[in-house]
Amino acid sequence: MSLSSKETNSKWLDAHYDPMANLYTFSSCIALADLHGDGESKLVMGDLGMAGHTMRLKVYRGTGLASESTLLDLPAAVTTFLMDQNEPRTPAVAVASGPFVYIYKNLRPYFKFTLPPLDANPLEQDVWEQAKEDMIDPLTLKEMLEGIRDKAEIPLSVRSLRFLAQEVPEMESFVNIHKGQPIKRQTVITCMSTLKKNMADEDAVSCLVIGTENADVLILDPEAFTILAKMTLPRVPAFLDVMGQFDVEYRVTVACRDGNIYILRRESKRPKYCIELRAQPVGLVRVHKNIVVGCSNETLQGYTQKGKKLWTVYLPAPLMTMSLLDQKSRGFQAVMVGMANQEVHMYRDKNLVDIICTQDVVTSICFGRYGREDNTLIMTTKGGGLIIKILKRTAVFEEKDISLGPPVAQSIRLSVPKKTRLYVDQTLRERENPVAMHRVFQMDLCRLRLMAARAYVKALESSLAPVTSTLQEPLKMNAVNTSAGRPSINLLVSFLYDRSLYAMKRAFFKAPMLVPGLNYPIETFVECLSDKGISDIIKVFVLREGQSTPLLTAHINMPVSEGLAAA
Amino acid sequence: MAEPGAEPASPFPMATESQKPRPRKAPELPILERRNWLIHLHYIHKDYDACKIAIKEQLHETQGMCEYAVYVQALIFRLEGKIQESLELFQTCSILNPQNADNLKQVARSLFLLGKHKAAIEVYNEAAKLNQKDWEICHNLGMCYMYLKHFNKAKDHLNNALQLSRHDLTYMMLGKIHLLEGETDKAIEVYKKAVEFSPENTDLLTTLGLLYLQLGVYQKAFEHLGNALTYDPSNYKAILAAGSMMQTHGDFDVALTKYRVVAYTMPESPPLWNNIGMCFFGKKKYVAAISCLKRANYLAPFDWKILYNLGLVHLTMQQYASAFHFLSAAINFQPRMGELYMLLAVALTNLEDAENAKRSYEQAVALDQCNPLVNLNYAVLLYNQGDKKGALCQYHEMEKKVSALKESSALDFDPEMVDVAQKVGAALQVGESLVWTKPTKDSKSKQRAAASSKSSSTQQPLGSNQALGQAMSSAAGYGKTVQLSTGAGVSTPLAKPPSLPLEPELGSETGPEETTSSTEPQERRKEKRKSRLTTD
Repeated sequence: MSLSSKETNSKWLDAHYDPMANLYTFSSCIALADLHGDGESKLVMGDLGMAGHTMRLKVYRGTGLASESTLLDLPAAVTTFLMDQNEPRTPAVAVASGPFVYIYKNLRPYFKFTLPPLDANPLEQDVWEQAKEDMIDPLTLKEMLEGIRDKAEIPLSVRSLRFLAQEVPEMESFVNIHKGQPIKRQTVITCMSTLKKNMADEDAVSCLVIGTENADVLILDPEAFTILAKMTLPRVPAFLDVMGQFDVEYRVTVACRDGNIYILRRESKRPKYCIELRAQPVGLVRVHKNIVVGCSNETLQGYTQKGKKLWTVYLPAPLMTMSLLDQKSRGFQAVMVGMANQEVHMYRDKNLVDIICTQDVVTSICFGRYGREDNTLIMTTKGGGLIIKILKRTAVFEEKDISLGPPVAQSIRLSVPKKTRLYVDQTLRERENPVAMHRVFQMDLCRLRLMAARAYVKALESSLAPVTSTLQEPLKMNAVNTSAGRPSINLLVSFLYDRSLYAMKRAFFKAPMLVPGLNYPIETFVECLSDKGISDIIKVFVLREGQSTPLLTAHINMPVSEGLAAA
Repeated sequence: MAEPGAEPASPFPMATESQKPRPRKAPELPILERRNWLIHLHYIHKDYDACKIAIKEQLHETQGMCEYAVYVQALIFRLEGKIQESLELFQTCSILNPQNADNLKQVARSLFLLGKHKAAIEVYNEAAKLNQKDWEICHNLGMCYMYLKHFNKAKDHLNNALQLSRHDLTYMMLGKIHLLEGETDKAIEVYKKAVEFSPENTDLLTTLGLLYLQLGVYQKAFEHLGNALTYDPSNYKAILAAGSMMQTHGDFDVALTKYRVVAYTMPESPPLWNNIGMCFFGKKKYVAAISCLKRANYLAPFDWKILYNLGLVHLTMQQYASAFHFLSAAINFQPRMGELYMLLAVALTNLEDAENAKRSYEQAVALDQCNPLVNLNYAVLLYNQGDKKGALCQYHEMEKKVSALKESSALDFDPEMVDVAQKVGAALQVGESLVWTKPTKDSKSKQRAAASSKSSSTQQPLGSNQALGQAMSSAAGYGKTVQLSTGAGVSTPLAKPPSLPLEPELGSETGPEETTSSTEPQERRKEKRKSRLTTD
């Protein structure tokens, strides 16, 4: 590993790197826990697999895969928590996917929790009831459902929406298949976290906190899996952070898809504070009591728990993932930020305290106890690799920013363009006789202008220019009438040539009416009479009927006849 | 869905047995939003390819009914610059869910990006009905009105937005509208509030600093620019502005180190190379100055300020023919500036084209309002040509300007100019009181020792005839320095014999004189440049 050898003063030891681990996951689907109660912490990971297949729940132990089991659907979140006080105190694994939370104990399926169905729209139910008894035909059903859709507070169920999308001939059969079923509205889980029940201890029993697609936050009882509390958000939650204890006081911080962060407290059904971010949140971490949020506009922002902005850090690259670094032995907490430039930055408040360069873009990151090592950093990469690093026991993070001081660019020399010896000589020459130079220049300039003016006058006088000077017949020699809208009429085209050299089939044309913007090819055939291989000029005139001065003149420099050249 | 359940690897009894009656008559309809979270994750990770695949799958599965998938697809289209397509998709979204203000907001946003501001306003008003207290709607309405040039309405909406929720962007736009209306004071008020609200926003700090710079409140300008640089040491605008202020104070080396940062990030910035060039000029590295200015000129061939500086440097280098070209080019781009004509006249004087020089001076005098140098130089030319009356007239003009300047500001005059003015005054035998009180007042501020000693030395000879001769010859000698002080070199046909011995001396003198005096116009350049940056 070239990187580590370069960074001898790095705070991290490279424990393991497997670029072919074939893992595809996010930070929300990684957890570290002592699953078997043997004092050795394992890595639990919900692998999203490839293209929605081969979703697996993988458990790593040391550097190897300890077990894996197939998941039925893509995991949205994976977390571990203690369900009860039973000995041995082994945590359960909760995998949220779709509308379900699958609970595993000892890595065996233990329970499946399903989100309670949502209330269906009563109007919709009535309508389907009527359809069931064949009181209305599919078309009426469609109209009524559309009416409900446009006004209803409660959105329509999947079935109605599907029905509305059907073509008319298929409606009948669709109704027949589905009308027997009761109307159901189901939602899915978007994020999940845990909340201690009534004790702050490390190994206290925890509740699951679930964010759903219909913008609710649910808190579940750890044993009975009943809903202990339900709160409603204005938008769909994307990231959750929970602190406190359920029975005492807690605070749920939710980053939502509308780019806002809402802060909920115990006993509040609605958000208490709101932070408008102006960009999509990509990660949410709480450090002590402050909220640190990474945004898609490449910033890291710190807020108090009441939503007051504290600081902003501009990141060098787009953010991929974020997590908390909690070095418990030293009571040090920092935010780890994985970025698209293959770097992981660690921020203590707004100060950058460490940088890790990785071999690939990090997509998920997790810090905690792994195996028997307390401070282990687990990362998975975009290419499916797994990186495990261990924080050196001697490592101490400085509290101050390592990137302070003048920017690197300040020490780069300016690239001032060099001047040659010739330049200096010319400068000296100019210094010696500026007056003469100036006068010569001015005189030449005058001459140039005079010559240009003369040539112009001459061209105008002899109508040599390719554009006519009279306004009546704006023509170019290539027979384009350039006037805006007026056609040219009564024009003649005549050719003048040496009769001893060339013979022309037709040396005189009467041009048709020339409409602006169109091409009128007027062709004639020229025969070369001489066999000496010489060429001459043929002059072409455009004349107005009854006038002797041409409007346009063109000189065609004839090439040497090809037949002769070949002979 | 069913296959993995059947696999032996995961015997999931609960899932397969009880809950889902999947294989019954009615097929289970997939939940429309089932992959929304994944689409969202891909979207925020900017993994648009994966995002598109997920969207495609979900839309296929739901026959295009999934609102969020369409929404994100539209967002991606917009990012890819396909604004019309994105607009259509957002409209689809608002049909799928007419109650969602977000959809309408995005429709309006796309209309806004397409430049259909009026249509956008209508849609935003529609969205405002669904969501009364939305900062974003108010802000964007303000933006629309701004582009429609209804500044009052725009300000109303932006102020509303600020009342709902304070955002840096809204402050920025409000300030911009005030600037568009030419109300710099109000703009400064707005930016001040903004900086109070968000003290670490470098854009706000820089803008405020530049505005102060434009108004000439250097202390505050430097404070804000300095703050901006503390938070973002590589802020391009702030560095340029702060650098130009350092140049004004003669800290050329510090300014150059700061410019290095900009040269790294923005190597093709014409103002940067102009300022670097003038730094070298200040350090008397004329060749480097010329090459930097020429690069600036190459990057921005139509910028008259760069041409002006090039002309100035060439005058200093006594390359009058080249200076003439640069200055006349500058005049072609900026025909309304007296100082340009003055410099051109200086060049022409040195090219021994007195007639055109005079005409150029006349133009300069006609255009210039407040620069006494113009009249002084003209006076010297007229005097050297023997037109004492004209010279006297110009001298009085200069005095008027000087006194006006003194009243308006406590600006220090360039000691060289004061000095030369005294000599000319002496040579022209202007009324003593008038002439001598002014320069001594000047010298009070800055150049007490030198100027006063000189004035006293010339004061005595004025009385007697014999002394007059002295004064005359000295004036002739100083006549050169006058022109030098504005960046010109030896010319005066009058003083042939003394000019020879004077020459080496002059050569050594030219350096300091030119730099001190020429930094003056150069500074002014900077300020103008700054003002332009602010309006950018």
